[in-house]
Amino acid sequence: MNNFVMCIDQQNHTIATLLWYGTCMASALIAGGLLIEFTHLSPRFLFDITGSGIVNIGIALFILLPIARVGLMLALFLSKRDYVYTAISAFVFIIIGVGFFIAS
Amino acid sequence: MEISFACWLLLASFGASAFGSTLGMASGIFIVPILTLFFGIDMHIAIGASLVSVIACSCGSASFFLKNRLTNIRLAIVLEIATTLGALTGVFLIGIIPTLYLYILFSAILILSAQQMLAQRNEFVQADTPADRSSWATLLRLHSSIPNYRLGQNVPYQVGCIPLGLCLMYGAGLISALLGIGSGVLKIPAMDTVLRLPIKVSSATSNFMIGVTAAASAGAYFVRGDINIAIAGPVALGSVLGSLTGGRLLMSLPSEKLRILFAAILALLAIPMLMSVFGFNAFQGLRHE
Repeated sequence: MNNFVMCIDQQNHTIATLLWYGTCMASALIAGGLLIEFTHLSPRFLFDITGSGIVNIGIALFILLPIARVGLMLALFLSKRDYVYTAISAFVFIIIGVGFFIAS
Repeated sequence: MEISFACWLLLASFGASAFGSTLGMASGIFIVPILTLFFGIDMHIAIGASLVSVIACSCGSASFFLKNRLTNIRLAIVLEIATTLGALTGVFLIGIIPTLYLYILFSAILILSAQQMLAQRNEFVQADTPADRSSWATLLRLHSSIPNYRLGQNVPYQVGCIPLGLCLMYGAGLISALLGIGSGVLKIPAMDTVLRLPIKVSSATSNFMIGVTAAASAGAYFVRGDINIAIAGPVALGSVLGSLTGGRLLMSLPSEKLRILFAAILALLAIPMLMSVFGFNAFQGLRHE
């Protein structure tokens, strides 16, 4: 039983880590992008990208984050050989994919 | 992008989100009326921005619930089948439904949410009977336990009727995609009454699910080019900062008075939303043009 609890905790921890760092990164991108946009700085150290371009990446990252979480759960269930839940995760993943496909 | 406009958006969504999260509410229900009524932003643009902020708040607060083992992740992924299907239906319908009806639907949801805010959430008393072996919840191994730190042990709970829960969640996903909100108004009865979850598990699991539900519709809107970066950026940033601040306030405010205040604000927001249906804007003078 203890082993089971530990296993679930580890799974929760991995998902929590993904969501937390993803949120921090997306927020930082949006904040940085807005700052660049308003101070009219042009960071040409990497390539030609505008402030609103960086904000756009931040927003895309936010939208992708929960989808990545479903992908991570799929992988975690698969690694535990829990095939019923692997199939359920895959199904949710497909529904979201269909939405993207139809919209484009 | 204009700096003063972005700052006002950031401040407004920070306030709405901090306020909403003190009672464990998604900020979407405040963000859409603020954007449409005070900023004069088009309803569809407001919905897109609000969905991004709903995702941001869900992801930002999920780690706290996960680390405290309050989220039932198996139940979440099962119910996400229904919420994402509902969201897809919403993405189809939003192009067909006239904006007028969206305003009417939003007003109805505001009034229902106000009413729900005033009613106490009743915790279902779990019986000590063994679980029904043939129920969906048993077959899917959804029964779980929550840690009770005062007792120093895990308290088990059983999950109720999954098929009915799935139907309600489909509706919640649909409303979420159509209005850009977390649709707590449908999820709370579904999770508390139909699935009989302990309140903490219900709040944590619904918060976890809403991120994926909103991502299913926001993703489609993003691909379609319906998400306005200049608006969604500051709103998402303000919301995530607000929800992190609001969560900390949760412990220190008297919640009974806060609930009455909430219900009053929700009901009051319904009035100008309904007026917009008939072509009046109560806040014309405050609009940013």
